[in-house]
Amino acid sequence: MQTLIQKYRHLCLAGGLVASLMSGQALANGAIGEHVNNLQGHLGQYTEEVDWLITKVDGIVDTYETSGQEAAKADAVLEHWEAVDLHGAIESNYVPVYAAIWQGLFGVKQAIDNKEPITVVREEQAKLEQALWQALGAVKLAAQYQQKGLLAPVKSLDAGSLTPPETLEEIKHQLDRVVAKYAEKLPDAAKNIVYDTYLQRFEGVEGLLIAQDADLVEDLEKDFNVTLPQALDRKASVDEVKQVIQAMQAKLDKAKSLLLAAEKDQKDVF
Amino acid sequence: MQRRTFIQAMAAAGTLGSLPLAANHVLAASDLAAAVSVEQLPPLVGDITLYLGRGEGGLYENVLNAIRKRNPKLNLQVRRGATAALANTLVAEAKAGVRRADLFWAVDSGAIGMVTEAGLAKPLPTDLTSQLNPRFQYPQWAPVTGRIRTIPFNTDRVTAAQIPSSIMALADSDLSIGWAPAYASFQSFLTAMRLLEGDKLTAEWLRGVSKHATSFAGELGVVMAVERGEVDIGFANHYYALRLKSGKADAKVDLAFTNNDAGCLVNASGIVALSDDDLPINFIRYLLTQEVQSYLASEAYEVPLVGGVSPPLGLPSLSQISPPEVDLTQLADLRPTLELMRKVGVL
Repeated sequence: MQTLIQKYRHLCLAGGLVASLMSGQALANGAIGEHVNNLQGHLGQYTEEVDWLITKVDGIVDTYETSGQEAAKADAVLEHWEAVDLHGAIESNYVPVYAAIWQGLFGVKQAIDNKEPITVVREEQAKLEQALWQALGAVKLAAQYQQKGLLAPVKSLDAGSLTPPETLEEIKHQLDRVVAKYAEKLPDAAKNIVYDTYLQRFEGVEGLLIAQDADLVEDLEKDFNVTLPQALDRKASVDEVKQVIQAMQAKLDKAKSLLLAAEKDQKDVF
Repeated sequence: MQRRTFIQAMAAAGTLGSLPLAANHVLAASDLAAAVSVEQLPPLVGDITLYLGRGEGGLYENVLNAIRKRNPKLNLQVRRGATAALANTLVAEAKAGVRRADLFWAVDSGAIGMVTEAGLAKPLPTDLTSQLNPRFQYPQWAPVTGRIRTIPFNTDRVTAAQIPSSIMALADSDLSIGWAPAYASFQSFLTAMRLLEGDKLTAEWLRGVSKHATSFAGELGVVMAVERGEVDIGFANHYYALRLKSGKADAKVDLAFTNNDAGCLVNASGIVALSDDDLPINFIRYLLTQEVQSYLASEAYEVPLVGGVSPPLGLPSLSQISPPEVDLTQLADLRPTLELMRKVGVL
């Protein structure tokens, strides 16, 4: 039974990953390296980077175990992650894992900074390694889809070209980025994404949506303007912020199905 | 006072029709010649580039796609962006001696003003402009659809009779107000007030209203707060309340209209031809057809500006309200408005 449940969970995870790759990967904010449009050609590099990162973090934890907190120089954990191209590949393909990696990085760093017992640090290290392997798996899957022409090229955002249902998908993607930035210990950047997503994207579709379900819009308005900013302001845990966002994403899924149904009822222009 | 509620306007069009009009050149849709049908237009053939300011939830995209489908020999390229940014781009391109766009479709007339003032707009033929309500006939650009500034009010907390018919009087009223000072539509409305009443009275109005106002990020938020009863009234474009009522039949919100002042300004989206060819002109004709105007009225709740097309359900026709006389392109320069708002402390 346990095995069945685990298999089911893995299937769900894989299903979610595929859905995310198919729907929300094509857009990215900020500078993106050209390598993200040729994932297959860089899989060897990404694999080496994961190995390198794991070795580096292991070295830091070993140093902590043998020589203590100061000698470990835990800040380097973050610097190493910033240096690798996998960073851009995963950010533009599967943001939820990107957030988990940041949680893992800070988990290791803070455990060392707080002089936690080595067993606690090793637990955090294991979580980070799991997130890194999951990230590599996501990028490999994305590379397969990219090769089959199933993924649109990663490009800069053009909000105006998105249909309303696509805009809702993009909002979900941006909310994943909120978790990622928050996990990255960048709460102001996370809040800016919330604010921009509300003004630049949600406001563009809420007029259509309110004609379908006013209560749902009211809920989402509150989420964007009160619940989520408050969670970020009161320094809630990353998991709490993630819960708020997952609840919003479920509402956005409902909104998307309403808009898709409304599109079918829409009259033709000519 | 009765004329200022849209529910009553729907129910009693005869009564409303007998009321005096502040501007005798504001014609009812029925007074204009009926809009041209798409069936009467020539096919569009050739290459054309349109700069498109962000529209209402993708519905402008549907219009463009329908035009493409109907005109398979039309190669329509679209560049999208924020309306003000595209206007700036057009001006910058012109200064650099480059013209990439044949048309500019903007969601607000202020951006159109920037482009016409820069001398980039080509004159439109009178047989095209004359299809529009006379109040919206401009030689160098064509308004496409309108939006009306309104006062949404909570029907449990306020009656229409309690709402002053002058926007200026609201500064001294005891009604609680919801507003969105950082919102572009509000700033255009305030610019109209500056043009009509002057900076001094506008500053006094801002000070007065701010004493009993609650701020919101956007005007849909304003209308929703009115409906929840968090405030008595608000300042917002007409379509938010109509959409809210469409999604929530028992919504406790109604619309009031002030009389011949910025409070019932009718602003418009509009389009400019930037090249001399016939193709951009004929493209504009498609936007003024009965079919496109009717689509935008029923699906986007926008106000049609040609004859023979009904306004969105729940909204009086333009002949039944009394908007002020303002050259919409004069709403382009927001800087003095923003400076005034900062000086008063509402931004």
